[in-house]
Amino acid sequence: MAKAFSASAGIMLAPAVTLIGVFVLLPMLLTIWLSFQDWSTQTPFSEASFVGLGNFHEIFGPTSVGRDFKTALLNTAIYTALSVVLILPLSVVFGLLVYQREVAGGTALRTVLFSTYMVPMIAVALVWSKLYSPSEGPLNQLLWLVGIGPQPWLSSPRSALISIVLLNVWQQVGYFTVLAIAGLTQIPGSLYEAATLDGANGREQFRFITLPLLRRTLLFSAVIAIINAVQVFEPVALITQGGPVGSTNVLTYHIRRVGIERAQGGLGSAMAVMLMLSLIVCVSALFAFVNRKDSE
Amino acid sequence: MSAAARSLSRKRPSGRKALLATAMLLVAVASAFPIAWMVLSSLKTPAETMQVPPVWIPRTPTLEAYDKVAGVVNVGRSMWNSLVIATVTTAGILVTSMMAGYAFAKCSFPRRSLLFSLLIATMFLPPIVTLIPLYRMVGSIGLSASLAGIIVPNLANAFGIFLMRQFIAGVPDDLIDAARMDGASELLILFKIVAPSIAPAIAALALFAFVYHWNSYLWPLTVLQGNADAYPIVISLSRLLSYNRGAVNTGLVMAGATLAVLPPLVLFVFLQRFFVDSIVGSAIKG
Repeated sequence: MAKAFSASAGIMLAPAVTLIGVFVLLPMLLTIWLSFQDWSTQTPFSEASFVGLGNFHEIFGPTSVGRDFKTALLNTAIYTALSVVLILPLSVVFGLLVYQREVAGGTALRTVLFSTYMVPMIAVALVWSKLYSPSEGPLNQLLWLVGIGPQPWLSSPRSALISIVLLNVWQQVGYFTVLAIAGLTQIPGSLYEAATLDGANGREQFRFITLPLLRRTLLFSAVIAIINAVQVFEPVALITQGGPVGSTNVLTYHIRRVGIERAQGGLGSAMAVMLMLSLIVCVSALFAFVNRKDSE
Repeated sequence: MSAAARSLSRKRPSGRKALLATAMLLVAVASAFPIAWMVLSSLKTPAETMQVPPVWIPRTPTLEAYDKVAGVVNVGRSMWNSLVIATVTTAGILVTSMMAGYAFAKCSFPRRSLLFSLLIATMFLPPIVTLIPLYRMVGSIGLSASLAGIIVPNLANAFGIFLMRQFIAGVPDDLIDAARMDGASELLILFKIVAPSIAPAIAALALFAFVYHWNSYLWPLTVLQGNADAYPIVISLSRLLSYNRGAVNTGLVMAGATLAVLPPLVLFVFLQRFFVDSIVGSAIKG
């Protein structure tokens, strides 16, 4: 039983549904609507005037608006892909290190790894901007100790984006390690025992048991990692301001600059719509890929 | 672990254990290094922060940098603002999430799964997508440049509803039915009977929401539009960077960062079980 009348369900739902409706769903629909409008963020919504696909023509056009947007889209794609490609394998390796029972200290390692996730991104950005500092920065000093020359990190267009990826990976990998551990605990121990009796070595067990059974966890992790990655804002806003020469100009930073600081609400909304569409395509492709593997 | 597996692990060479231990230590050091370096640097003198090669451990630890932070930004005010934002938002999220989570887990109504899917979909919507219209909306209802403007749009979220539904679904129906027979209202059942039995999950959500909103930067920055009186600590912190560019302010910046990190980190160290529970609850209890 345990089913109440609709009336009381309505009362229970009202606060959350109203708030999410007004402050998430409505602005999302407004973003889509505004993307077809010429509208300044400084003016009321009623002043918007319909321009059809004009904003989309502009953000994909040959002008500087188009160039900047395409750079930001590409930078975000690279940043996201690199983040996922680094975070997922690391989270599995770290997860195995925490989960194994041969050497004590797993829980302590998990605590250390996960604690970075509690550090506000703003503090992460500030600390890493100093860690990356070319002369007195500890990272180059450590590299010098092992015989590697100083790296330009944030100051070169070739390495700035990857430097921000590394900072992001450092902050987030603990969260994904906990997800990986959750996935590992779901794998029945009897599978490993059977495999051991069949003479499978550790590598084979990992390849034929651990990895396939972690697929769902990894899919979930990949989706979360992608969503998190497109939100990168603080390190760019604070340390690089999108530079050097646009190499770290990512979408969240760019959309805010266009839509809020320059008050070009229509253009910014069109960019936000493109971000949303790209995400939908990415995540659907990921699900399709995993489901195809499942049915094999 | 079975007897077979145990005897197998006993046969494993000790070199493997040493390798594992070394790997664990390396990972832990790499992970902890930036935080340790931040705290240590905040205790250095300005000269020490600029030295090459770096001084790792300050020779004469000093709180000078913290004094200077207090001279540049109103630390007390900013910390208070952060506390108000994080606490009020968290309280709101708890109430709205528990109520909606209860409705989805224990009540029947038309289009239940459709509505749930619609709400959950918003969990995957990056805030930047709604930032521009939301900024305008908050401005037109007169909430811009205020703490209320930061708080009100965040009083409910899909993650909270999802998490609460997961855990409330595990509460036995009999318990709820018995209370309904006695004529208890749904709200009373939720707060008197369901809530106590999922207390750890509520704690998990509370901590997560608190830390998330303590740390959040993009939305407060956008809403406040330079109203320094309402700055949370993470935004005050960014002003330290522009206050005095260059290496001289390293200690200052690190002291500010340490102050901002302390509350969430202390919460985490003492209550980490709850944080881990909420992640695990969101990942595998589906």
